[in-house]
Amino acid sequence: MIAGLVEILLFQGAGEVISRFVVPLIPGPVIGLLLLLGYLVLRGSVPRHVEVVASGLTQHLGLLFIPAAVGVVMYWPNLRANALAVAVALVGSAIATIAVTAVVQKLVSGRHPK
Amino acid sequence: MTRGALDIHEIWVYLSGSPLLALILTLAAYQIGLVVYARTNSHPLANPVGIAVILVAAAISVLDMPYAKYFEGAQFVHFLLGTATVSLAVPIFRGLPKMRARLLPLLAALIAGGGASILTAAGLARLLGADDAIIRAMYVKSLTAPIAMGVAERIGASPTLTAVFAITTGILGAVLGRTILNAVRSVEWWQRGFALGVAAHGIGTARAFSVNVEAGTFASVAMGLHGVVGALVIPLVAR
Repeated sequence: MIAGLVEILLFQGAGEVISRFVVPLIPGPVIGLLLLLGYLVLRGSVPRHVEVVASGLTQHLGLLFIPAAVGVVMYWPNLRANALAVAVALVGSAIATIAVTAVVQKLVSGRHPK
Repeated sequence: MTRGALDIHEIWVYLSGSPLLALILTLAAYQIGLVVYARTNSHPLANPVGIAVILVAAAISVLDMPYAKYFEGAQFVHFLLGTATVSLAVPIFRGLPKMRARLLPLLAALIAGGGASILTAAGLARLLGADDAIIRAMYVKSLTAPIAMGVAERIGASPTLTAVFAITTGILGAVLGRTILNAVRSVEWWQRGFALGVAAHGIGTARAFSVNVEAGTFASVAMGLHGVVGALVIPLVAR
Protein backbone atom coordinates (compact mmCIF):
# COMPACT_ATOMS: atom_id res chain seq x y z
CA MET A 1 0.00 0.00 0.00
CA ILE A 2 2.81 2.41 0.89
CA ALA A 3 4.58 1.73 -2.42
CA GLY A 4 1.40 2.64 -4.32
CA LEU A 5 0.90 5.80 -2.28
CA VAL A 6 4.50 6.88 -2.88
CA GLU A 7 4.11 6.32 -6.59
CA ILE A 8 0.87 8.32 -6.80
CA LEU A 9 2.32 11.12 -4.64
CA LEU A 10 5.34 11.29 -6.97
CA PHE A 11 3.04 11.76 -9.96
CA GLN A 12 1.12 14.40 -8.00
CA GLY A 13 4.38 16.15 -7.08
CA ALA A 14 5.57 16.12 -10.68
CA GLY A 15 2.18 17.51 -11.73
CA GLU A 16 2.38 20.31 -9.14
CA VAL A 17 5.89 21.28 -10.28
CA ILE A 18 4.90 21.33 -13.96
CA SER A 19 1.74 23.29 -13.13
CA ARG A 20 3.70 25.83 -11.14
CA PHE A 21 6.49 26.46 -13.62
CA VAL A 22 5.17 25.49 -17.05
CA VAL A 23 1.36 25.56 -17.37
CA PRO A 24 -0.05 27.48 -14.39
CA LEU A 25 -3.57 27.38 -15.86
CA ILE A 26 -3.92 23.63 -15.37
CA PRO A 27 -4.20 22.32 -11.80
CA GLY A 28 -1.24 20.19 -10.69
CA PRO A 29 -3.31 17.10 -9.81
CA VAL A 30 -4.84 17.08 -13.31
CA ILE A 31 -1.34 17.11 -14.83
CA GLY A 32 -0.41 14.34 -12.37
CA LEU A 33 -3.46 12.40 -13.59
CA LEU A 34 -2.35 12.76 -17.22
CA LEU A 35 1.22 11.70 -16.36
CA LEU A 36 -0.01 8.63 -14.50
CA LEU A 37 -2.39 7.83 -17.36
CA GLY A 38 0.50 8.09 -19.83
CA TYR A 39 2.58 5.78 -17.65
CA LEU A 40 -0.26 3.22 -17.46
CA VAL A 41 -0.75 3.32 -21.24
CA LEU A 42 2.99 2.75 -21.83
CA ARG A 43 3.04 -0.04 -19.27
CA GLY A 44 -0.17 -1.58 -20.59
CA SER A 45 -1.54 -2.49 -17.14
CA VAL A 46 -2.13 -1.12 -13.65
CA PRO A 47 0.51 -2.16 -11.07
CA ARG A 48 -1.11 -4.01 -8.16
CA HIS A 49 0.10 -1.58 -5.49
CA VAL A 50 -1.19 1.46 -7.41
CA GLU A 51 -4.51 -0.29 -7.93
CA VAL A 52 -4.98 -0.83 -4.18
CA VAL A 53 -4.43 2.82 -3.26
CA ALA A 54 -6.32 4.26 -6.25
CA SER A 55 -9.43 2.16 -5.65
CA GLY A 56 -9.47 3.11 -1.97
CA LEU A 57 -9.22 6.81 -2.78
CA THR A 58 -11.68 6.90 -5.67
CA GLN A 59 -14.24 4.77 -3.82
CA HIS A 60 -14.57 7.43 -1.12
CA LEU A 61 -13.92 10.45 -3.28
CA GLY A 62 -17.03 12.11 -1.85
CA LEU A 63 -15.61 12.19 1.68
CA LEU A 64 -12.69 14.29 0.49
CA PHE A 65 -14.71 17.25 -0.68
CA ILE A 66 -16.85 17.56 2.45
CA PRO A 67 -14.48 20.01 4.24
CA ALA A 68 -14.53 22.46 1.31
CA ALA A 69 -18.26 22.07 0.69
CA VAL A 70 -19.08 22.83 4.34
CA GLY A 71 -17.77 26.32 3.53
CA VAL A 72 -21.23 26.86 2.08
CA VAL A 73 -22.11 28.26 5.53
CA MET A 74 -20.01 31.30 4.59
CA TYR A 75 -21.95 31.80 1.36
CA TRP A 76 -25.37 31.34 2.87
CA PRO A 77 -26.50 35.02 2.66
CA ASN A 78 -25.19 35.25 -0.90
CA LEU A 79 -26.99 32.06 -1.96
CA ARG A 80 -30.22 33.11 -0.29
CA ALA A 81 -30.16 36.44 -2.09
CA ASN A 82 -29.62 34.65 -5.42
CA ALA A 83 -31.72 31.56 -4.71
CA LEU A 84 -33.94 31.78 -7.79
CA ALA A 85 -31.04 32.38 -10.19
CA VAL A 86 -29.05 29.48 -8.72
CA ALA A 87 -31.99 27.07 -8.81
CA VAL A 88 -33.01 27.94 -12.37
CA ALA A 89 -29.41 27.83 -13.62
CA LEU A 90 -28.67 24.45 -12.04
CA VAL A 91 -31.92 22.75 -13.09
CA GLY A 92 -31.98 24.31 -16.56
CA SER A 93 -28.37 23.47 -17.19
CA ALA A 94 -28.71 19.86 -16.01
CA ILE A 95 -31.63 19.34 -18.40
CA ALA A 96 -29.86 21.05 -21.31
CA THR A 97 -26.58 19.17 -20.79
CA ILE A 98 -28.19 15.74 -20.72
CA ALA A 99 -30.48 16.49 -23.67
CA VAL A 100 -27.76 18.03 -25.87
CA THR A 101 -25.26 15.23 -25.14
CA ALA A 102 -27.80 12.51 -25.93
CA VAL A 103 -29.07 14.17 -29.11
CA VAL A 104 -25.61 14.88 -30.53
CA GLN A 105 -24.54 11.33 -29.79
CA LYS A 106 -27.54 9.96 -31.64
CA LEU A 107 -26.92 12.22 -34.64
CA VAL A 108 -23.20 11.48 -34.91
CA SER A 109 -23.33 7.74 -34.28
CA GLY A 110 -26.22 7.47 -36.73
CA ARG A 111 -23.79 8.36 -39.47
CA HIS A 112 -21.03 6.18 -38.05
CA PRO A 113 -22.63 2.89 -37.10
CA LYS A 114 -20.62 0.81 -34.65
CA MET B 1 -5.29 17.86 37.57
CA THR B 2 -7.14 17.44 40.86
CA ARG B 3 -9.84 14.84 41.22
CA GLY B 4 -13.23 16.03 40.02
CA ALA B 5 -11.78 18.96 38.15
CA LEU B 6 -12.19 17.25 34.82
CA ASP B 7 -15.48 18.79 33.84
CA ILE B 8 -17.17 18.89 30.48
CA HIS B 9 -15.85 22.34 29.81
CA GLU B 10 -12.25 21.25 30.12
CA ILE B 11 -12.74 18.28 27.82
CA TRP B 12 -14.38 20.61 25.35
CA VAL B 13 -11.53 23.12 25.41
CA TYR B 14 -9.05 20.32 24.81
CA LEU B 15 -11.01 18.72 21.95
CA SER B 16 -11.88 21.91 20.12
CA GLY B 17 -8.22 22.89 20.11
CA SER B 18 -7.14 19.75 18.23
CA PRO B 19 -7.92 18.64 14.68
CA LEU B 20 -9.58 15.56 16.14
CA LEU B 21 -13.03 17.12 16.56
CA ALA B 22 -13.23 18.33 12.96
CA LEU B 23 -12.03 14.96 11.70
CA ILE B 24 -14.51 13.04 13.83
CA LEU B 25 -17.37 15.33 12.71
CA THR B 26 -16.46 14.90 9.04
CA LEU B 27 -16.04 11.13 9.11
CA ALA B 28 -19.06 10.49 11.35
CA ALA B 29 -21.30 12.68 9.17
CA TYR B 30 -20.10 10.83 6.05
CA GLN B 31 -20.71 7.48 7.75
CA ILE B 32 -24.27 8.56 8.62
CA GLY B 33 -24.71 9.70 5.01
CA LEU B 34 -23.57 6.29 3.75
CA VAL B 35 -25.97 4.46 6.07
CA VAL B 36 -28.94 6.63 5.02
CA TYR B 37 -27.99 6.19 1.35
CA ALA B 38 -27.91 2.40 1.76
CA ARG B 39 -31.22 2.37 3.69
CA THR B 40 -32.97 4.28 0.88
CA ASN B 41 -31.71 1.77 -1.71
CA SER B 42 -29.19 4.30 -3.06
CA HIS B 43 -31.77 6.94 -3.88
CA PRO B 44 -29.99 9.90 -5.53
CA LEU B 45 -31.76 12.40 -3.25
CA ALA B 46 -30.17 10.69 -0.24
CA ASN B 47 -26.68 11.51 -1.54
CA PRO B 48 -24.20 10.67 1.25
CA VAL B 49 -21.98 13.71 0.62
CA GLY B 50 -24.97 16.06 0.53
CA ILE B 51 -26.22 14.63 3.83
CA ALA B 52 -22.75 14.88 5.39
CA VAL B 53 -22.34 18.52 4.33
CA ILE B 54 -25.70 19.46 5.85
CA LEU B 55 -24.89 17.58 9.08
CA VAL B 56 -21.44 19.13 9.49
CA ALA B 57 -22.73 22.62 8.63
CA ALA B 58 -25.49 22.22 11.22
CA ALA B 59 -23.08 20.83 13.81
CA ILE B 60 -20.54 23.65 13.52
CA SER B 61 -23.35 26.23 13.70
CA VAL B 62 -24.71 24.64 16.87
CA LEU B 63 -21.22 24.35 18.37
CA ASP B 64 -20.53 27.95 17.38
CA MET B 65 -17.34 26.82 15.68
CA PRO B 66 -16.07 29.20 12.99
CA TYR B 67 -15.66 27.58 9.57
CA ALA B 68 -11.96 28.50 9.47
CA LYS B 69 -11.45 26.60 12.72
CA TYR B 70 -13.30 23.54 11.38
CA PHE B 71 -11.28 23.60 8.18
CA GLU B 72 -8.03 23.80 10.09
CA GLY B 73 -8.76 20.33 11.43
CA ALA B 74 -10.51 18.92 8.38
CA GLN B 75 -7.72 19.99 6.02
CA PHE B 76 -6.10 16.59 6.45
CA VAL B 77 -9.06 15.08 4.62
CA HIS B 78 -9.10 17.95 2.13
CA PHE B 79 -5.42 17.44 1.32
CA LEU B 80 -6.07 13.98 -0.14
CA LEU B 81 -8.28 15.52 -2.84
CA GLY B 82 -5.27 16.12 -5.10
CA THR B 83 -3.99 12.59 -4.57
CA ALA B 84 -7.45 11.19 -5.33
CA THR B 85 -7.59 13.29 -8.51
CA VAL B 86 -4.33 11.70 -9.70
CA SER B 87 -5.79 8.24 -8.90
CA LEU B 88 -8.67 8.89 -11.32
CA ALA B 89 -6.12 7.92 -14.01
CA VAL B 90 -6.79 4.27 -13.09
CA PRO B 91 -10.54 4.17 -13.92
CA ILE B 92 -9.90 6.36 -16.99
CA PHE B 93 -7.23 3.88 -18.16
CA ARG B 94 -9.74 1.03 -17.72
CA GLY B 95 -12.28 2.92 -19.85
CA LEU B 96 -9.86 3.59 -22.73
CA PRO B 97 -10.76 0.50 -24.84
CA LYS B 98 -14.47 1.47 -24.65
CA MET B 99 -13.57 5.04 -25.57
CA ARG B 100 -11.46 4.08 -28.57
CA ALA B 101 -14.24 2.08 -30.18
CA ARG B 102 -16.57 5.08 -30.37
CA LEU B 103 -14.22 8.02 -30.16
CA LEU B 104 -15.95 10.31 -32.66
CA PRO B 105 -19.53 10.25 -31.29
CA LEU B 106 -18.24 10.42 -27.73
CA LEU B 107 -15.99 13.43 -28.32
CA ALA B 108 -18.62 15.27 -30.38
CA ALA B 109 -21.23 14.69 -27.69
CA LEU B 110 -18.83 15.66 -24.93
CA ILE B 111 -17.92 18.98 -26.56
CA ALA B 112 -21.56 19.80 -27.32
CA GLY B 113 -22.77 18.73 -23.87
CA GLY B 114 -19.93 20.41 -21.99
CA GLY B 115 -20.48 23.61 -23.98
CA ALA B 116 -24.22 23.47 -23.31
CA SER B 117 -23.54 23.01 -19.60
CA ILE B 118 -21.40 26.15 -19.33
CA LEU B 119 -23.52 28.33 -21.60
CA THR B 120 -26.85 27.48 -20.00
CA ALA B 121 -25.63 27.57 -16.39
CA ALA B 122 -23.63 30.80 -16.61
CA GLY B 123 -26.15 32.32 -19.05
CA LEU B 124 -29.21 31.62 -16.92
CA ALA B 125 -27.46 32.76 -13.74
CA ARG B 126 -26.40 36.01 -15.39
CA LEU B 127 -29.83 36.58 -16.96
CA LEU B 128 -31.46 36.28 -13.53
CA GLY B 129 -29.03 38.74 -12.01
CA ALA B 130 -26.77 36.43 -9.98
CA ASP B 131 -23.51 37.98 -8.79
CA ASP B 132 -20.12 37.25 -10.27
CA ALA B 133 -19.01 34.73 -7.62
CA ILE B 134 -21.99 32.53 -8.45
CA ILE B 135 -21.64 32.87 -12.22
CA ARG B 136 -17.94 31.89 -12.10
CA ALA B 137 -18.65 28.83 -9.98
CA MET B 138 -21.22 27.70 -12.59
CA TYR B 139 -18.50 27.20 -15.24
CA VAL B 140 -17.14 23.95 -13.89
CA LYS B 141 -20.11 22.45 -12.06
CA SER B 142 -20.51 19.54 -14.47
CA LEU B 143 -16.94 18.33 -13.90
CA THR B 144 -16.26 15.74 -11.24
CA ALA B 145 -15.94 17.71 -7.99
CA PRO B 146 -12.22 17.12 -7.23
CA ILE B 147 -11.19 18.32 -10.70
CA ALA B 148 -13.83 21.08 -10.68
CA MET B 149 -12.44 22.50 -7.44
CA GLY B 150 -8.89 22.52 -8.79
CA VAL B 151 -10.02 24.31 -11.95
CA ALA B 152 -12.14 26.72 -9.89
CA GLU B 153 -9.02 28.01 -8.14
CA ARG B 154 -7.39 28.67 -11.50
CA ILE B 155 -10.29 30.69 -12.91
CA GLY B 156 -10.90 32.72 -9.78
CA ALA B 157 -14.05 30.89 -8.70
CA SER B 158 -14.78 29.74 -5.15
CA PRO B 159 -13.93 26.03 -4.69
CA THR B 160 -16.67 25.88 -2.05
CA LEU B 161 -19.46 27.15 -4.31
CA THR B 162 -18.11 24.95 -7.09
CA ALA B 163 -18.26 21.85 -4.88
CA VAL B 164 -21.80 22.68 -3.76
CA PHE B 165 -23.00 23.33 -7.33
CA ALA B 166 -21.26 20.18 -8.57
CA ILE B 167 -22.93 18.01 -5.92
CA THR B 168 -26.34 19.59 -6.59
CA THR B 169 -25.87 19.13 -10.34
CA GLY B 170 -24.98 15.49 -9.82
CA ILE B 171 -28.11 14.91 -7.76
CA LEU B 172 -30.32 16.76 -10.28
CA GLY B 173 -28.87 14.80 -13.19
CA ALA B 174 -29.38 11.50 -11.40
CA VAL B 175 -32.98 12.37 -10.49
CA LEU B 176 -34.05 13.94 -13.81
CA GLY B 177 -31.91 11.83 -16.17
CA ARG B 178 -34.40 9.12 -17.06
CA THR B 179 -37.21 11.58 -17.89
CA ILE B 180 -34.99 13.79 -20.04
CA LEU B 181 -33.41 10.85 -21.91
CA ASN B 182 -36.84 9.38 -22.63
CA ALA B 183 -38.06 12.78 -23.84
CA VAL B 184 -35.25 13.02 -26.42
CA ARG B 185 -35.80 9.34 -27.34
CA SER B 186 -32.34 8.14 -26.40
CA VAL B 187 -32.53 4.33 -26.40
CA GLU B 188 -28.99 2.91 -26.47
CA TRP B 189 -27.67 2.16 -22.98
CA TRP B 190 -24.17 3.43 -23.81
CA GLN B 191 -25.59 6.74 -25.02
CA ARG B 192 -27.85 7.17 -22.02
CA GLY B 193 -25.01 6.41 -19.64
CA PHE B 194 -22.59 8.72 -21.41
CA ALA B 195 -25.05 11.65 -21.32
CA LEU B 196 -25.57 11.13 -17.61
CA GLY B 197 -21.81 11.01 -16.99
CA VAL B 198 -21.16 14.22 -18.95
CA ALA B 199 -23.86 16.13 -17.06
CA ALA B 200 -23.77 14.58 -13.61
CA HIS B 201 -20.22 13.13 -13.14
CA GLY B 202 -19.79 10.70 -10.22
CA ILE B 203 -23.33 10.88 -8.88
CA GLY B 204 -24.77 10.33 -12.36
CA THR B 205 -22.34 7.46 -12.85
CA ALA B 206 -23.47 5.75 -9.65
CA ARG B 207 -27.07 6.14 -10.82
CA ALA B 208 -26.25 4.75 -14.28
CA PHE B 209 -24.52 1.69 -12.77
CA SER B 210 -27.60 0.98 -10.66
CA VAL B 211 -29.73 0.79 -13.82
CA ASN B 212 -27.46 -0.93 -16.34
CA VAL B 213 -23.78 -1.98 -16.36
CA GLU B 214 -23.08 -0.75 -19.89
CA ALA B 215 -24.68 2.61 -19.06
CA GLY B 216 -22.53 2.81 -15.93
CA THR B 217 -19.32 2.01 -17.78
CA PHE B 218 -19.97 4.75 -20.31
CA ALA B 219 -21.02 7.20 -17.62
CA SER B 220 -17.68 6.64 -15.94
CA VAL B 221 -15.88 7.11 -19.29
CA ALA B 222 -17.82 10.38 -19.73
CA MET B 223 -16.96 11.58 -16.24
CA GLY B 224 -13.23 10.99 -16.79
CA LEU B 225 -13.18 12.46 -20.27
CA HIS B 226 -15.19 15.53 -19.25
CA GLY B 227 -12.97 16.06 -16.21
CA VAL B 228 -9.74 15.97 -18.21
CA VAL B 229 -10.94 17.84 -21.32
CA GLY B 230 -12.76 20.39 -19.14
CA ALA B 231 -9.67 21.02 -17.02
CA LEU B 232 -7.64 21.67 -20.18
CA VAL B 233 -10.21 23.81 -22.03
CA ILE B 234 -12.28 25.71 -19.44
CA PRO B 235 -9.39 27.81 -18.01
CA LEU B 236 -8.68 29.06 -21.55
CA VAL B 237 -12.33 29.94 -22.18
CA ALA B 238 -13.15 31.39 -18.77
CA ARG B 239 -10.31 33.87 -18.43
